[in-house]
Amino acid sequence: MREVAVLGLGMHPWGKFPEKSVTKMCREAVEVALADAGVGWREIDAVAAASSRFSGGKGWGLNGNDVVEEMGSSGIPVYNLSAGCAAGGNAFNIGHTLVASGLHDTVLVVGGEKMPKGFIQTSGVEDVHDPEFLRQRCVGMPGPAFWAMLARRRMAEYGTTPEHFAQIAVKAHKNSVHNVNARFRKEFTIEEVLNSPLVSYPLHLLEICPVSDGAAAVVICSAEAARKRTTNPITVAASTVATARFDDGITRGLGGIVPSGPTHHSEAKQAVLKAFEVAGIGPQDLDLVELQDNTVYYELAFPEEWGLCEPGEAERLVEKGETTPTGKLPINPSGGFQSFGEATTAQGLFQICELGWQLRGEAGERQVPNAKVGLAQTLGLGGNATAAVLKR
Amino acid sequence: MTTRVHAVEGLMTETADGPRLLGSKCGGCSATYFPRDSVCHNPDCDAPAMVDMNFGPTGKIWSCAIQNYQPPAPVITEEPYQPYAMGMVDLDDGLRVLGRIDVDDPMSAQVGGDVELVVGRLGGDADGNDVVTWMFRPI
Repeated sequence: MREVAVLGLGMHPWGKFPEKSVTKMCREAVEVALADAGVGWREIDAVAAASSRFSGGKGWGLNGNDVVEEMGSSGIPVYNLSAGCAAGGNAFNIGHTLVASGLHDTVLVVGGEKMPKGFIQTSGVEDVHDPEFLRQRCVGMPGPAFWAMLARRRMAEYGTTPEHFAQIAVKAHKNSVHNVNARFRKEFTIEEVLNSPLVSYPLHLLEICPVSDGAAAVVICSAEAARKRTTNPITVAASTVATARFDDGITRGLGGIVPSGPTHHSEAKQAVLKAFEVAGIGPQDLDLVELQDNTVYYELAFPEEWGLCEPGEAERLVEKGETTPTGKLPINPSGGFQSFGEATTAQGLFQICELGWQLRGEAGERQVPNAKVGLAQTLGLGGNATAAVLKR
Repeated sequence: MTTRVHAVEGLMTETADGPRLLGSKCGGCSATYFPRDSVCHNPDCDAPAMVDMNFGPTGKIWSCAIQNYQPPAPVITEEPYQPYAMGMVDLDDGLRVLGRIDVDDPMSAQVGGDVELVVGRLGGDADGNDVVTWMFRPI
């Protein structure tokens, strides 16, 4: 396997764009990424794309084919990857594999999404064999309520307070003020967060990410080829995919086993720990993390599940401001999903773009000083997760 | 006349001592399943032996939350809408299961609280029936 570099980064701003198709949004992101890489469309050997359930893709998640037709049908291979909210990370992993294996030299990875209004709903099919339908019909527990339940457990276990949750949202929005691609670029106080409507106790509206439209693209190639174009390319130290384990304590349907220990988010934990192993690094080597913050709760749970801090220590890091861009463990300097909203399948590539800009030192006011190693992580429906470690 | 209908058929049975959840347990690895299943999905189970099991009635709330806004279909709710509590409960006989928590004040449901299975109304359907499901009531 050969070393892979991230050569070009491109993003269409996140927001609501009712007048624009998802394919046109992807085109803008792709054009920026190609120009950033100094690569022409005809130099792209293959496309790995995240499959959307909500927009484009001819109803079959063929979003990569849409992009190739839009950019010019050159006959190149297209890989459409479906992994729920982890699809962008999954596409990056496949793109990475295509280049690392030597099968292709220059690959475009792209994800774009236009989301329907409101919180993400079930498939709409009333099928008693669908665990998600059963959960909604028999219990009535939408995604935010599930996150709220996890947050409440943490409050009971570690004494997490509403102010801790709110502080994370305050930090996210403070970072977003400096990000031209963020949908919400306004600072909030702890009081404003706590006074926003309760979505699902203990979580407020400003502690849960909304849905957005967005698109992001990256151009990757062998590190050897990248060094001919730039002196100090961003390289991929690891790209991993994992799925949930049977002994995970978070039941995916109505019911299951009582786990013997704390085994939550096993898919994310496995992807991240494997990424550390492949990259030959430990948590102490990370300069920044872009993690999937659908809700502020994850910024407390994930760091300790991955060994970035001790169990129960995450609240102390938040209190001391250690997760801000200038702290010991900067988390989501981009502003995160809290400030962008979730354009589900584009999120994995939004994270790669942010790591890339941070590692190049191009992140402006939200720059993590002297960032050399960054971690990105996604988590998707069906027990999907991905991780990537980028280095400069 | 109003009739009681289960939110989804085949998930619970009503007994004189309250409802029981129709699930399964593997004799080989002790894994529990709900709804009922005919095969064990534990990749480390080397002697799968699935048996039907009716779970309940008591357990502890692992955690709970409140549904503050009215969720859309397929969730069934009362009109006018009242926020409700729901959570994940570890039943004494080894099943971790989701369910509504049957309390007047949703803030009164507590992590670690002891509960028992009851049948409760989610709301009405278009034919005027009471749609019911299993719920957990603090004891």
